[in-house]
Amino acid sequence: MTSSAKAPALAAWPTPVDVLEHAVRTKGAFSTFHRLLTADAPIARTPKRLVWTLNKARLFRYAPCAPPEKRRKTPLLLVFAIMNRPYVLDLRPGHSFVEYMLRHGHDVYLLDWGVPGPEDKDLAFDDYALDYLPRAIRKLQRIAGASEFNMLGWCLGALISTLYAAMRPEEGLKNLILLTAPLDFSDKSAGGFARWTSHPAFDPDKLTALFGNVPGEMIDAGAKMLKPVENFVGAYANLWDNIEDERRTEAWHAMNTWVRNVIPMSGAAYKQLINDFYKQNKLIEGTLTLYGEPVKLENLRANLFNVVAETDHITPPCQSAGIMDKVGSSDKELFRVRGGHIGIMAGRDAEKNTWPHLEQWLAARSD
Amino acid sequence: MSSPEARPNPLDPLGLMKGLRDAGLEQWSKAMTDFVHSEAYARANGEFLEAWVGAAAPVREAMQAAIVRALAEWNLPSRDDVTRLAERLTRIEMRLDDLDAKLDAGSAPRTPAHKPGAKR
Repeated sequence: MTSSAKAPALAAWPTPVDVLEHAVRTKGAFSTFHRLLTADAPIARTPKRLVWTLNKARLFRYAPCAPPEKRRKTPLLLVFAIMNRPYVLDLRPGHSFVEYMLRHGHDVYLLDWGVPGPEDKDLAFDDYALDYLPRAIRKLQRIAGASEFNMLGWCLGALISTLYAAMRPEEGLKNLILLTAPLDFSDKSAGGFARWTSHPAFDPDKLTALFGNVPGEMIDAGAKMLKPVENFVGAYANLWDNIEDERRTEAWHAMNTWVRNVIPMSGAAYKQLINDFYKQNKLIEGTLTLYGEPVKLENLRANLFNVVAETDHITPPCQSAGIMDKVGSSDKELFRVRGGHIGIMAGRDAEKNTWPHLEQWLAARSD
Repeated sequence: MSSPEARPNPLDPLGLMKGLRDAGLEQWSKAMTDFVHSEAYARANGEFLEAWVGAAAPVREAMQAAIVRALAEWNLPSRDDVTRLAERLTRIEMRLDDLDAKLDAGSAPRTPAHKPGAKR
């Protein structure tokens, strides 16, 4: 309101007209503020078709938009985390990673793990990586008519993708992109989660015995407590400061719509994440087994592009970078991007700082 | 709402407080972030969770047992019954998925890695 052209011209004692005008604009600002906090923004609008389902999991294929001669043959599968909705990859028209990749001719598929119900409390990473994901990939390969495929995993989706790539190296995975992948928990002081969960008093078994699945609100609160002032105060103060900037408020609204849509996490996967990964670092120690089979990172031979966010407070860079010497890929690159855990892909600079690098790396390595 | 270039607007008390707020917010943020990343917070967090779960679990168990008894009296399925049914449906869905893959391929499908000992 004071940012308007009128504000600097205000006299020390405002006139009744100024007061009235200010009151009207303040009312409008409050109304916008309330709408942004309570209503949902239109997100995930890129046209797509449901091509496969299993339990709550769904596989979507996005409608291509590039001319036929520019389309690439190798399909790209996007795998997001299991405790958030995957639509952050297709946040809003004009600012969507999915849209960007489609424009560059990629055949894009999205795996949505769905919302686990009480009957899914025993779903573990074994199931996600070696049962659900291979089935979705099998369907994708049939639809695309391609034996090879590319995969992009983000956050816990990157962990699942890594497990799959190490366990099933012969199933056609050509290029693997990992985004902010939590894989190496050697440093227990790196990041709040590692510190909190590695404390002996933190017992995920008791928590899941009580709830079955871990409530989404609890996971969301935990993530926000990593930067409490920014998340509980700063975000809203910044929104108020920019309430009359439509471009900024709509971007904030889309992100807030995604953030508010919290979902529970399967109890078994949560226990495994805390006990096997955070506390015991089994993947890096080479002691992790899925369905009784050992997971050997040296069997991960797909081309690897490992993206870390330099100011990531959820997955600190060291938790992702640690696998570079462990994997068997001959073509591998660690790529650092300025930004946070979500910001590197969904922030306003993503289209400039992250997406082109992912696309170019992939384009150079796929048909 | 406020911009730093603008002259303070006496009608916008929130704008007048902005400078003060911004100065304090950064320090507050740093202090809080340091605190939640400390060993003391990690211990307190774990102990609080332990105490809370310890207190809530017996109450929840007792409630669930009572509900299960009541549902049985009324010949209604309990949550566990519905859960077991849903699990069976998922197993059937997986068999159908394998059949679908066979039809797609016109031959035996590649193993979808459903291993012995798999829960589903």
